[in-house]
Amino acid sequence: MIKKIVSKNFDIKDSFKIDVALKNERYSSLASVFEKTPLEITEIITLSGLRGKGGGGASAGCKWSLLDEYSGTKYLVVNADESEPGTFKDRRILSHDPHLLIEGIIATCYAIKSHISYIYVRGEYEEFSDILQIAIDEAYDRDYLGKNAKYLVDIVVHRGAGAYICGEKSALIESLEGNRGYPRLKPNKISPEMFFGDATLVNNVETIASVPYILKNGAKAYRKYGTPDSPGTMLFSVSGNVNTPGIYEVPFGVSMLEYINKLGGGIKGGKKLKAVIPGGASTPVLPADIVKYSSLDYENLRDNGSALGTGGMIVLDEDVCMVKALKNLLRFYHHESCGQCTPCREGTSWSDKILDKFVDKTATQKDLDILRSISISMNGKTICVFAPAASSVIDGFLKHFESEFLECIQ
Amino acid sequence: MSFVFTKKNTLKIQELKKSYPKKKALILPLLWMVQKQDNFISEAAMKKVADITEQSYIHIYGVVTFYTMFRLNKPEKKIIEVCRTLSCELNGSEDIKAYLDYNYSNEYEILEVECMGACSGAPMCTLNGKYMENVTKEELTRVLK
Ligand SMILES: Cc1cc2nc3c(=O)[nH]c(=O)nc-3n(C[C@H](O)[C@H](O)[C@H](O)COP(=O)(O)O)c2cc1C
Ligand code: SF4
Ligand code: FES
Repeated sequence: MIKKIVSKNFDIKDSFKIDVALKNERYSSLASVFEKTPLEITEIITLSGLRGKGGGGASAGCKWSLLDEYSGTKYLVVNADESEPGTFKDRRILSHDPHLLIEGIIATCYAIKSHISYIYVRGEYEEFSDILQIAIDEAYDRDYLGKNAKYLVDIVVHRGAGAYICGEKSALIESLEGNRGYPRLKPNKISPEMFFGDATLVNNVETIASVPYILKNGAKAYRKYGTPDSPGTMLFSVSGNVNTPGIYEVPFGVSMLEYINKLGGGIKGGKKLKAVIPGGASTPVLPADIVKYSSLDYENLRDNGSALGTGGMIVLDEDVCMVKALKNLLRFYHHESCGQCTPCREGTSWSDKILDKFVDKTATQKDLDILRSISISMNGKTICVFAPAASSVIDGFLKHFESEFLECIQ
Repeated sequence: MSFVFTKKNTLKIQELKKSYPKKKALILPLLWMVQKQDNFISEAAMKKVADITEQSYIHIYGVVTFYTMFRLNKPEKKIIEVCRTLSCELNGSEDIKAYLDYNYSNEYEILEVECMGACSGAPMCTLNGKYMENVTKEELTRVLK
């Protein structure tokens, strides 16, 4: 089931050191990259069907093309803010194969005609961004980066300081510009992000780390894996009540249950599966009877009422109290709302408070009605999709596990 | 009280300026530098950062207060952070927190934080910023001695 494309070097000893990396194919895609035009590189990525691995799943090639019509300085910003609960894959790339990321950055910069890339790493990842920084220094020493390189690219590691919302791409740019991490209103047409007014591409760490394989082996080789609409592989991960939590790279389209049982080692303590949160905390929960026919691709999970998100599955066993689980997640949303939009600031705060009543079993029918109306008020009325995500999380729990909430009503 | 960057940091700032198109982008890197130097961010330091980045003091203050990792006060104790988000809760983070509170709150400041990106090592905590995964009471007792 496992297919290692991005994770190929993860288990190699000292894989983060440049000499080990060079022996294991790193930087080997670049020779062929510089023989092609930037346009040709973007075309290969578009044809490969590579989709963004940060949660949204947008076509990478289409996003890169958006920068074409802009002249002037262009920027590549790599999103390593990774804070979606249940998600821990980007960290593994930073600490176990940073040269793969650097190689991907060089190729991507060449394709979008940028000479500078910022890697925005969440503040808590200091240990891991130190490893990344050493790898970058090595790449400068060997002239893969800097003014003596075949194509000039500089990489700057920029450290965040603890704010989930800075993973949202426009908030990330605001943060990079030296502001509070407030998401921006979306423009009225699809366009790139703007860093100090210049066109900027924001891609997730894993997206960029997928680029070298595709450029070396071709778009077809990537499409050999996965489904027609979700091509290739992804670093899916599993945590919660399983025996062997971890990161396992598989092609899109694999059965969710098989993944959990074979790679996740099944449910801890021989218990039964109750539910799975499929792609990070912001994706709606799926009960076991839907998990049975779910597969790990964008289309299937959307059709089943959830989303693939970051591919970070949180597995809940039969003994988990769903009221308590929702309380945990709403506390997270309450804590992380940036506070710009009233429906989000108030809605995340009040829904968190109301859940306390359910946990204490002092809730009334009215509280359940209020919770439902808060969910409605947070959907589609805010600057970013943080609030709609919180709303869909509430809806998922109430839809599939309403009886547990009713049991808490006086 | 005034704030001065160390010589080494002053040189680093000159280098950093070349890495960004505008000085304003230096705000987060400079605040990190301050916090590394002093272990917290004082009013004097914020004024210094405001000067270097040509921003108002209140802008800097607004930025500092937005991000949970920046500290306006010097911590009196060493810090342990316990992740409380779902995968960690499902694996016993509440017990770990209670155990730490009961036994170590005199020597350590014990904080709860949201998902740290280490869910496969749940329950997890950090000790002085360093990750500890799959923590148990026994291991904590050993390490905190
Ligand atoms: C609230 C919120 C948090 C997000 N957090 C992250 C994150 O931590 N890392 C990430 O790569 N993308 C995150 N995203 C998605 C980014 O906005 C953006 O779509 C992504 O970085 C683009 O890269 P990709 O196309 O390669 O996935 C978040 C989005 C939202 C709305
Ligand atoms: S929806 Fe919430 S997180 Fe997003 S901008 Fe509005 S207040 Fe901030
Ligand atoms: S839930 Fe604790 S590290 Fe992710």
